[in-house]
Amino acid sequence: MRVTKGAKIIASTALLALGLAACGSATSTDEASAAGAVRMRIGEPQKLFYPGDTVESEGAEVLAAIFAPLVKYDENKELVEHVADSVKTSDNRVWTIKLKSGFTWHNGDPLTAQNYVDAWNYTANQENAQSANYFFARVQGYDALNPGEGKTPSAEGMSGLKVVDDTTFQVTLTRPFSQFGTMLGYTAFYPLPEVAFGDDGKVTEEYAKKPIGQGLFKIDNPYNKGSDQAITLTRYDAFPGDKPKFDKLQFKIYNSAETAWNDLQAGEIDVQEQLPPSAISTAKAELGDRYIDQEDAGIGYIGFPLVAGDQYDDVQVRRAVSMAIDRKTISEAVFSGTRAPADDFINPLLDGYRAGACTACVYDPAAARKLYTEANGPKQLEIGSNMDNGHKEWIEAVANNLRSNLGVEVKVSPYEKFGQLLDELDAKKYTGMFRSGWIIDYPSPENYLTPIFSTGAIKNGSNYAGYSNPEFDELVTKGDSATTPEQSLKFYQKADDILLRDLPMIPIFYYRMNAAFSEHVKGVKINLLNQVEWVSVEKVV
Amino acid sequence: MTARPHQVPLRRGPPAIRETPAELYERLVLGRYIIRRLLQAIPVLLGATLLIYAVVFALPGDPIASMYGEKRMDPDIIRIVREQYHLNDPFIVQYWHYISGVFQGDLGTTFAKVPVSEIIAGKFQVTLNLGLTALLMEAVIGVGLGFYAALRRGRAQDTMVLAATLLLISIPTLVTGFVLQLLLGVRLRQGTGIEIFPISGVSDGWRSYLLPAFVLAGTSIAYLTRLTRTSLAETLRADYIRTAVAKGMPRRRVVGRHALRNALIPLVTYLGADLGTLMGGAVITETIFNLPGIGQELFRSVYERQQPVVVGIVTLLVLVYILANLIVDLLYAVLDPRIRYE
Repeated sequence: MRVTKGAKIIASTALLALGLAACGSATSTDEASAAGAVRMRIGEPQKLFYPGDTVESEGAEVLAAIFAPLVKYDENKELVEHVADSVKTSDNRVWTIKLKSGFTWHNGDPLTAQNYVDAWNYTANQENAQSANYFFARVQGYDALNPGEGKTPSAEGMSGLKVVDDTTFQVTLTRPFSQFGTMLGYTAFYPLPEVAFGDDGKVTEEYAKKPIGQGLFKIDNPYNKGSDQAITLTRYDAFPGDKPKFDKLQFKIYNSAETAWNDLQAGEIDVQEQLPPSAISTAKAELGDRYIDQEDAGIGYIGFPLVAGDQYDDVQVRRAVSMAIDRKTISEAVFSGTRAPADDFINPLLDGYRAGACTACVYDPAAARKLYTEANGPKQLEIGSNMDNGHKEWIEAVANNLRSNLGVEVKVSPYEKFGQLLDELDAKKYTGMFRSGWIIDYPSPENYLTPIFSTGAIKNGSNYAGYSNPEFDELVTKGDSATTPEQSLKFYQKADDILLRDLPMIPIFYYRMNAAFSEHVKGVKINLLNQVEWVSVEKVV
Repeated sequence: MTARPHQVPLRRGPPAIRETPAELYERLVLGRYIIRRLLQAIPVLLGATLLIYAVVFALPGDPIASMYGEKRMDPDIIRIVREQYHLNDPFIVQYWHYISGVFQGDLGTTFAKVPVSEIIAGKFQVTLNLGLTALLMEAVIGVGLGFYAALRRGRAQDTMVLAATLLLISIPTLVTGFVLQLLLGVRLRQGTGIEIFPISGVSDGWRSYLLPAFVLAGTSIAYLTRLTRTSLAETLRADYIRTAVAKGMPRRRVVGRHALRNALIPLVTYLGADLGTLMGGAVITETIFNLPGIGQELFRSVYERQQPVVVGIVTLLVLVYILANLIVDLLYAVLDPRIRYE
């Protein structure tokens, strides 16, 4: 029994220690209970809140509540000045931006033109490795800040940015770009206050945890990424424009959309974007008016490896493949109506879309097979895709379409991540068709053309097909320099026509935005950038 | 037993007076045993870090590029970021950077520059609470039900327990999790307004852990019930039990003291090993109930290729396993005095 005693003491001490650990409350992860707050679900932001380093939706949603953009897009998708009083240009190259008076930072400092110039120069400088860096590639002097790997930038800032006076600054682009104004509403173009920068000229971590903005809400506490489950904001009452009708806003972090959906039904959260697929079929019936189903600017494609392989060099083969895909059934059956069949390279949400423009997007199995046989298309096709995020199902549906309608063998090559597929495509290790998609950076039809199909985007962009057509490039350039929006649009549509003829990728579907809100709120509207318009939201008493 | 109060003061007293040389010897042996076990854990932990680091390294896909979703980022920016995290170096150099940091108390940072130690400090508590609550439920319900069934072997109650456990074993955690969350969390609240079980998060204190811990422990409860039942039923047939009964000892004492204590040894082994399993298995449960624990973090970090986080969390889980095993080994001696340490 002697050993037993010793063992007893040790074992019970160990158990006691474990027990004590269990009793300690996890205060750091406690959600600050903000009574009466409007609560919205978000996924965990990828980074701390550096506006210039935020290119994903969750961080952008939070930043959009803390910062006010220069321009907004109203319900008619028209560009309206917000913080900017005017955005003017005569040649699409030199843009003069004048700020409205009355905007202040949450610490009381006035908002100045210098704040914008500082922030943009910071983001554009390669030394700071900001992921929104590429947004400034059109500004004069960008190259000096981005000399490439191993080299130090030869300038402090971009020569194209000039402060005229306290509330006015001028942006000079390397060449005319008529759509520059539409870019200004995006996260990358938020200003930064002086206090954001540390002694070394870098944006401090302290600031990124508790960003000081000039928008509708100020953040209550520093955000500890990795342990905090909620971010609570309080209305900034000195905001000069329309203010929200409620005073507390809380973002609650959920990794699982299903869990958030359960919490929405139980009234634990008030707003949820991105409903889980399992909820879509019942959401309408359960929520009625509290279910939002609207157009979204995203597009899903199947791309052809124009550089990596030569199987698809004949445009008739690409056309036949396109015509063999039943977009309507895929949208309705595979996606339960959360996608809409695509019929143009420009999304219907934006000006410039022409219904039915893509004649090769019409489902016609007989014609597809005839065309494919005449063009002597390959006997075996391959489609590569990452299989997460619901891509597996529709890629398999496409493969089935091609199998039965073209009478060919179709191999589906699964990848864990899209990046892997891209790497193999670049290295010409993978030479089949591939899945692709696009979410806009700024709401302009041009954004569906240049970044995905221009020659320059093969290296610095998302031209994964490797499509290069001087005629297309020239039309886009013409659209960029046209003096009126109507003229720009005309050129962009002509460029679109070339894509519709060449089909370097084929558009399959347009995304739709599905969101829901609880009984505690009303007036929930979601804008073009998929962010909630907090000004119109009201609490139901 | 009649109370013999005069004995109490005699049995208490400072250990120094009571401890015989033989006891002192045993205590030293035990201390040495524990220290040796803990020292043995060091190479295990080091090996674990290397192995896990290598496994995450071998996963395809660039962690930096995949942070930007499906858009291709400026290759120069990606190269600069990769440089910051030593991602351009060969594997062994990267591992060296990591492990030398660990020895200086720096567990590294994520690719969003958040220190891994901060993440683990904030989240380990949640998982530990969840794991221990589950373990407690498992022990109480599992042993209790098994005990109940063993004493009624072959009767209807026994069959019912067996059927119930079979059902519990055959339903995946994912299903029990979502179903219970929907029924007890959403529907019960919508129907009656009763809010006993929070759906997600840890803001409701200990109540937050009830449902997730039950879901997490579900399969283990079933196994433990069956194990207890078999183990106790077997012990009850042993000769010394028959002797005890024949001696006229009260049934309670026979079952509680003689049978249960001997039947506990396999159960303790199972429970000890299960703490690690429960904490490692918290990935699904934590995601369903949105508990900010290391399970959810681990899952995301593997997906995002956040090597330092994965290595940190898994090493911690290995440590929990090692400690749990040590405690189990020590408990053996409590249950069976014949067991000695060398």
